[in-house]
Amino acid sequence: MYKLLLCLKYLRTRYLAFVCIVSVMLGVATLIVVNGVMSGFSNKLKDRLHGILADVLVETERADGFDEPPQSMVSRIMESPAGQYVEAISPTVEVFALFQFHVRDRNGQKVPITKHVRLVGVDPAKHAQVGRFGEYVAHQKNSPAPSFALTPEAKARLERNRLFNWDEPAAEIRPAPPGQPGPGDFLKTQVQVPPQPPAFVPPPEVPPAGPPRVTGVIVGYSLCHTRYKDPKTGENLEVELLKPGDDVFLATVGASGVKPVSGTFVVADYFRSEMSEYDSSFVYVPLDELQRMRGMDDRVNALQLKLKGDLADDGMFVHEKLIPELQSLFPPTEARVVSWQQHQGPLLAAIDIERGILNLLLFMIVGVAGFSVLAIFTMIVSEKYRDIGVLKSLGASNRGVMGIFLSYGLMLAVIGCALGTGAGLLITENINEIEGWLTRRTGQQIFDRSVYYFDRIPTNVEPLAVTLINVGAIGTAVLFSILPAWRAARLHPVRALRFE
Amino acid sequence: MLVADNLTKSYRRHADAVKVLQGLNLAVAEGEFLSIVGASGSGKSTLLHLLGTLDAPDAGAIYLDGRRIDNLRGRDRDELRNKTFGFIFQFYHLLPELTALDNVLMPAYIAHSTVGWWRSRREWRRRAQELLDRVGLGHRVKHKPREMSGGEMQRAAVARALLSRPRVLLADEPTGNLDVETGREIVRLLRELNRDDGVTVVMVTHNLEIAAVTDRVVRMTHGRVAEDDPDSFQPRLMTAV
Repeated sequence: MYKLLLCLKYLRTRYLAFVCIVSVMLGVATLIVVNGVMSGFSNKLKDRLHGILADVLVETERADGFDEPPQSMVSRIMESPAGQYVEAISPTVEVFALFQFHVRDRNGQKVPITKHVRLVGVDPAKHAQVGRFGEYVAHQKNSPAPSFALTPEAKARLERNRLFNWDEPAAEIRPAPPGQPGPGDFLKTQVQVPPQPPAFVPPPEVPPAGPPRVTGVIVGYSLCHTRYKDPKTGENLEVELLKPGDDVFLATVGASGVKPVSGTFVVADYFRSEMSEYDSSFVYVPLDELQRMRGMDDRVNALQLKLKGDLADDGMFVHEKLIPELQSLFPPTEARVVSWQQHQGPLLAAIDIERGILNLLLFMIVGVAGFSVLAIFTMIVSEKYRDIGVLKSLGASNRGVMGIFLSYGLMLAVIGCALGTGAGLLITENINEIEGWLTRRTGQQIFDRSVYYFDRIPTNVEPLAVTLINVGAIGTAVLFSILPAWRAARLHPVRALRFE
Repeated sequence: MLVADNLTKSYRRHADAVKVLQGLNLAVAEGEFLSIVGASGSGKSTLLHLLGTLDAPDAGAIYLDGRRIDNLRGRDRDELRNKTFGFIFQFYHLLPELTALDNVLMPAYIAHSTVGWWRSRREWRRRAQELLDRVGLGHRVKHKPREMSGGEMQRAAVARALLSRPRVLLADEPTGNLDVETGREIVRLLRELNRDDGVTVVMVTHNLEIAAVTDRVVRMTHGRVAEDDPDSFQPRLMTAV
C-alpha cells in the first residue's frame, strides 16, 4: 500500500518528474504520428500496387509471349484444381515502348515530346474484372466495362485536329530572340496565353474508302499533364499537354527479333492511379491491336488472375498452395507464376525496411526519455536517502523500497504514454489541417502534392503498432528506473538515517 | 526481555576500523524505561540500532524473549521492526510529502497490501486519530510536517512509533532537537506510555535531567557499559551535570 501512496505523493510533489512524463509523451506521440503516416503511405502504396496488378500473375520473359494461346491456358487453369479459386483472368501483353506526341510552343510551332513508357495491351472489360483498372480510368471511372472508344468530345477534337491539319510535322525549332520566350517555354505559354488555333487551311479531301481507322489508347495521367508552381501566387498549376482526341505515336519492338514497329493512336482516356510512377509510365492499348502491331498473332506474355473472395489476403494459401499448383500446369522455363506481392517484392520490401529503420531511429527518442528517467530518478533517490532509512526502520523491505521507485517509473511512463498516445492520435487525425497551417505560416509546402498526386496525407493508425509503442515506452522507462530503484533498495538504513 | 550479549561493532572510516562497541552487555526488562547516556561517540546510537535490528553486530548476540534476533532473515527483521519495535529519532524523520495522519499510518501501510489496507483502513485510521489526539495533535491531522513545529513533529513521530502497538520503543535522542520545555513534554509522554501501556522504552539521551526521570540509567564509555546502577548512579550523574 505504501508503494502506491508514495508514488502518488511523489507524482504530485516532484515537479522534476514531469520532465520524464514529457520525454515519454514526446517519444510516444512522435512514434504514433510517424507510424500512422508511414502506415497510411504504405497502405496507399500497396493498395495502388495491387490495383495495377491482379492477385496472381502467370508471366513469361519471352518477347513473343507464351507458345500456347491464351484461351487454351485459361481453360487449363480453370479445369485444374486451382481453377475453383479463380474468379477472372485477363490476358495481357506488356512491353516497353517510346511514346511521342506534339505540343505547340508559344510561337505556334509543333514540338515533339518523347517519353519511354510501359505499353500494356489489354481487353479493358476483362482487365477491369481482375484489378482496379475500371476505377483508375478517369472519364469512365468505375465503369464495369471500360473501353478504348472515343467520347463524343474526343471525336470532335480529333476531327478538329484533322481538319486543321494539326498533326503536320513540326516546323524547325529555332532559338527565341533575346528577351523573347524560347522553345520549351510552351508550358508557361499554355497557362498564360492559350494557344490560338492555326490559321484556317482547307480540309483535306475525304478518301473514298471511308473514315481512317482510329484506335484509342488510355494514357497515364502524368504523361498528359504537367505541374508547376506559379511564381506569382505560389499556387500549383496543372497544364494539360494531351487531351482525349489528340494523336499519339507509339513505337516498340516486334515479337521476333528487335525489329521496330510503330503505330499512331488517339487518346481516349486517362489512367489515374494516384501513383506517380504508374501514372507517368503506363499506356494501355487494345490487346488485339498490340498483338497485331508486334506480330504476335494470338499470343500474350502474361495472364492476370483474380482470386475469389478474400483468398488473396491469405498469403500462406496463395504462396504455399495455389502458386505451386498453378506452376505445376506450366513448365517453369516457359511461365513463372507469382503473386502480386512477389512481383512487387523489392518495392514492398523497401517500404517495410524503411518503416522499420524509421521506427528504430525514432525509438531512440524513447531511449532519451529512458535516460532522463535514469538521471531524474537518481536525483530523487539521492534526495530521498533519509526517507528510505525511515521506511526501512518502520519495516519496509528492500524489495518494497525498490518497488516504490519501479512503480513510480511505471506510473510516470503510463501517464507519459497516455498523454503521448492522445497527442499522437490527435495529430495524426488532424495531420492535413496541421500541414495546411504550417504551409500557410511558413510559405513552404510540406507535403508536395505534385509528387504523390494524393489530395491528403494518408494516415492509418494501427492499434497493434500503438500498443507496441506504448509497451516499448513503458518497458524502457521501467528498465531505466531499475538502477536507481536497486540503489535505493540496497541502501543501509543506518547510513540512510545519518545522511546529511 | 531484550538482551545484548557481548556485542561488538566497528565501522570503517577511510583506512581505519573504528571500534564502536567492544563487548557490550545489557539486559532490558519488560516494561522498563531505560535511558542510555554517554559522551558522543560512545556507541549509544549504534547500540540502539543494533537492538532495533537496523544494523547487525560484528560479534555477540541480541535476544528478544530468549529468541536470537540479530541473525534473522531480512523479512523477519522487517516484520520485527514493523510490529515489535517503534523508533523515535532526534530529527523526527517524518516523510515530508505526507500529512501527520499518513505519517502515523505508515507502519500500517507497510504492513498491508493495498487490498488488506482497504479492508482494515477504518480501524487503522481510528487508531491513528486516537494516537494523534493522545499526543495532542488531534487538530493537526491534515497538516504536513513543514506546517508543524519541532515539538509537534516529534509528537507525531511518537504517535507513528506507537501505531503498531510495539513492545519496545527505541528513542534516539528524542529531545535533542527541541527546547527544554518541549523536550520535557516529550519525555512526560514517553513516561506516560511506559506507565499506562506497559511499553518498554530504551532512550538514548545527552540530557541528564531527562535521564533522571527514567527507571534506570546506563552510562556508556568506549563502547561498553560503564555504570548500570540506578540507585548509586543517579545522584552522581546529577552532580556531574
